[in-house]
Amino acid sequence: MNKIFFLAIFICSISFPQEITSTKTDLFSLANTKKFADYLFCQRDYLRAINEYNRYLLKTKSDSIVFKIAFAYSKMEEFQNSINTFQSIPKNSELFLQAKLEILKLLFQSNNFVELRKKITNDSLENKNAQPLLNLSFLFTNDNLPEKNDFCKPFPSEDLNKVKNFYEWKKDPPYKSPVAAGILSAIIPGLGKFYTQKFWDGVWGFISSVGFAYLSYDNFHADHNFRGWLFGGLAVGFYGGNIYGSAASAQIYNAKIQFDFVSEVKNFLERNNYFIPKINFCQ
Amino acid sequence: MNRTQINIFTFLIFILVFSNLNAQDFLKKQFDYAKKLYNNEQYFDSITEFKRLLFFDSKGEYKFEANNYIGLSYKEGAKFSDAILYFTLAEMNATTNDELFDSKIEIIRSNILRRTTSHAIELLNSVESDKRFSNRAKEINYWKGWAYIFSDNWEEASNYFAQTDSNTVLKDFCKKVAKKKYSTSLAKLLSLFIPGSGQMYTGHFLSGLLSLGWNVLWGYVTINAFVTDRVFDGLIVGNFLWLRFYNGNLQNATNFAEEENLKIANNALNYLQFNYHGTKP
Repeated sequence: MNKIFFLAIFICSISFPQEITSTKTDLFSLANTKKFADYLFCQRDYLRAINEYNRYLLKTKSDSIVFKIAFAYSKMEEFQNSINTFQSIPKNSELFLQAKLEILKLLFQSNNFVELRKKITNDSLENKNAQPLLNLSFLFTNDNLPEKNDFCKPFPSEDLNKVKNFYEWKKDPPYKSPVAAGILSAIIPGLGKFYTQKFWDGVWGFISSVGFAYLSYDNFHADHNFRGWLFGGLAVGFYGGNIYGSAASAQIYNAKIQFDFVSEVKNFLERNNYFIPKINFCQ
Repeated sequence: MNRTQINIFTFLIFILVFSNLNAQDFLKKQFDYAKKLYNNEQYFDSITEFKRLLFFDSKGEYKFEANNYIGLSYKEGAKFSDAILYFTLAEMNATTNDELFDSKIEIIRSNILRRTTSHAIELLNSVESDKRFSNRAKEINYWKGWAYIFSDNWEEASNYFAQTDSNTVLKDFCKKVAKKKYSTSLAKLLSLFIPGSGQMYTGHFLSGLLSLGWNVLWGYVTINAFVTDRVFDGLIVGNFLWLRFYNGNLQNATNFAEEENLKIANNALNYLQFNYHGTKP
């Protein structure tokens, strides 16, 4: 009897513990794959998370996992992959509307404003949610701006002042004209640099051009023709260089304020999550 | 306790022991799998599998080794900041002085490769002052040598390799490189007294001659203006032409010396990468 009992113990001890621990020990089981993928996702290791989610999807279907994959791609700034993945979420899914909004955000992030506007105007489903995004897209293109009231309408009251400032800036950007800068420097050397707020450059431009011009005049006057020509040539060089430099300085000034403006609008959009509902998978 | 109770008790003990053995076994298998990927140079997959191991290793049995391997894999992929993060986790989970020392050295090596050499030297100094590692002085000096190589201080590197006595090759090599390099301050000083001579010192003869020519021309015009009492002429030419060319000459000499030194250092590092067979960062 005892022998049989111990034989049973032996057989069970080999097979049974493996059975009861199999769910725990199979690191590649469906449940464990998802757990691990979620962990990677929350650790912002998006590429590995995508690989794990894809492994999960080989065995089962899940819209929320597809959504997470698309979301991970967007975090990696792989916009086209992200859009394609969001588009694969079916219409009957709970996440369909959110996916459409995410696509609009991605189109905005990838500066594809033509497609963005087409999608918003063609589809009434997300129209209301996407109106702020549609209006802000006009700040990044050279198309005609909508009326000020229409432009500001979809924004909450706390953002209204900021949005109005953006609108004003876009309508009448405080650019400096390169032609005006050149003409100013042609009239009075260095004045174009003052106009583009490069004050010290303006002072030096003025002194060098006028100084050499005077030296040229003075030397011709004293019959030192060689020096007269030498300084005259230098004066022309400094004068011409100053006109060119002033026009270039205006272009640099414009590029800088344009860059600052775009950065400010993008920061504003980031802070507001592009005016679409925010999802936190890692609470 | 009767016979039946004893039998049941024995049965339960068996289950417990075998299930624990099995649990350890699956972690060991995962570790071996991840390590195999590392050995096959599949670093991306190796990191994934070591991370999986860490995620399911609830008792933290593999915390040191897995973090260390993840650090090594990131380092192989030149992701030095990530590598340092995982070596630091390994350091926090080290159980022996050797493990602790190894992870500290890996952090230092990654800092050297990342070119945050001043931090590497700071860390080496702190390891050096730690009494637990008093028997590892030679290794510390060896890595100090490498830290100074990557901070472009070949003379100091040579001094540290001299203290490891087995590394006469590196000591002599660093000495040679240090001798080859140009002194930026000498180049500047030469150009300060004779414009263009600093450029010539670094082998840029045409540039040196041009610089000398311009300075002689505008210097002559300026001095001539002052000598003939044309003070305004002298001020304008001196300020807008001679001083500009003179300052440019000084800057030029320094730049050439720095460029040449960079070439020498890069060639030396290139040589070490392919021809030195000892341990490298």
